[in-house]
Amino acid sequence: MKYKRIIPLFLLKGKRLVKGVQFGNFVDVGDPLSQAMIYDAQGADEIVIVDIEASRQNRLIDGNLIHAMIRKTRLPIAVGGGIRTVEDGRSCFRAGADKIVINTHAVLNPELVSSLAGEFGRQAVVVSIDVRRDTAGVYIPHVFSGSRAVDRPLDEVVDTFVEQGAGEIILTVIDREGTLSGFEDPLYAEIRTRIPVPLIASGGAGCYDDMARLFHTVDVDACALGTMLTLRDYDIVRIKAYLTGEKISVRDS
Amino acid sequence: MIIGVVNNGMSNVGSVMSAFEFYRHQTELIDRPEGLTRPDLLVLAGVGSFNTAVARLKESGLWDALQDQVLVRRKPILGICLGMQLFATVGFENGQTGGFGWIPGKVVRIEAPTVRVPHMGWDEVIPRDARLFNRVKANSFYYMHSYHLIPDDDAVIAATTPYGAGDLVAAVVKENIVGTQFHPEKSQGDGMRFLQNVLETIA
Repeated sequence: MKYKRIIPLFLLKGKRLVKGVQFGNFVDVGDPLSQAMIYDAQGADEIVIVDIEASRQNRLIDGNLIHAMIRKTRLPIAVGGGIRTVEDGRSCFRAGADKIVINTHAVLNPELVSSLAGEFGRQAVVVSIDVRRDTAGVYIPHVFSGSRAVDRPLDEVVDTFVEQGAGEIILTVIDREGTLSGFEDPLYAEIRTRIPVPLIASGGAGCYDDMARLFHTVDVDACALGTMLTLRDYDIVRIKAYLTGEKISVRDS
Repeated sequence: MIIGVVNNGMSNVGSVMSAFEFYRHQTELIDRPEGLTRPDLLVLAGVGSFNTAVARLKESGLWDALQDQVLVRRKPILGICLGMQLFATVGFENGQTGGFGWIPGKVVRIEAPTVRVPHMGWDEVIPRDARLFNRVKANSFYYMHSYHLIPDDDAVIAATTPYGAGDLVAAVVKENIVGTQFHPEKSQGDGMRFLQNVLETIA
């Protein structure tokens, strides 16, 4: 793949987008449809939108919103939140999702990944994993938006997903999330060597050099941005101009 | 023009319709064989796997009707991603399944030890048939696939994308048929212009 992707990561709560710090203290950051149109116009490479309450509330992300987003934009949209079955996945694709994102239910039931990959193709199934560092510095996978620890090691969880057919992995470091303190580069370097599928780094992007350093040191395929875009003065056009100047291959926009 | 988008029950048809509507074309969603008659251009898109897509088209009666429209009546058709792959003679996703056979060739898994599979994201497209890339600015398009088409005859290749040590077929063109491995409907401005070029080339 010639180009590194820059991906706005949208967290949906009710009908609004929110952004928090370490998966808490959420503030409103706008309307999902208008924000999607803005980042599309700026040349974002993709959008990921996840309904952060869907799993806990035992429901699926709103299909009407997905449909409106794909009608109003011209870029790929990956959709997540509450997908527990193949039928849930089908509902998302019918609404217009280009890819589906599974997190909690993939960890609880890894066979969900292979069912979805078998039905929709592995390239359409993105698995998102949230981790926190414990006091010993070990990355512990968490589910239900970071509220419950998983008692399996991260390496094993990642390997299982790839074996089951995950087409892509989004790895979010909760401790970094919303802190603008930079990506957890060493973790991505370690996971990169384990998996043959695309890897998306998420959590901590705060300035141009956080991205430049990540892309220079680790062969990740993409980075996801939240707070930096929604609550600070950055946009995709200038981010790409900067990265191009740093000799990182991003698509012209 | 009237663009008929085949509804395979599970795909990004909304994006495709909205992309054509951008240039004020009329779009119709096609569920039944009768729907194939009126449009000036048919579009076959797809999410899913080769074998399930074939089975679904056969169940709905669209398979035979498409053979008739495209081969006998020479109706222009655009296949996107899996839609293009179905134009091949045979696909090897989840077993061996016969395709339409309009573009003689096979669809196999991307096998390249040095590159990532799935091939996912924006990649460079190198045109061979300039008609399809008129006014296209950056030649970068969005991809999302694990399988790729290998045509028997290189002459149908309209564009390629370098991947690993070799090339992937990015687009094919043959008489009334255009296929793209990438997703023009997801490729922002260049994608929109590409779709206009498809109309100007075959419709």
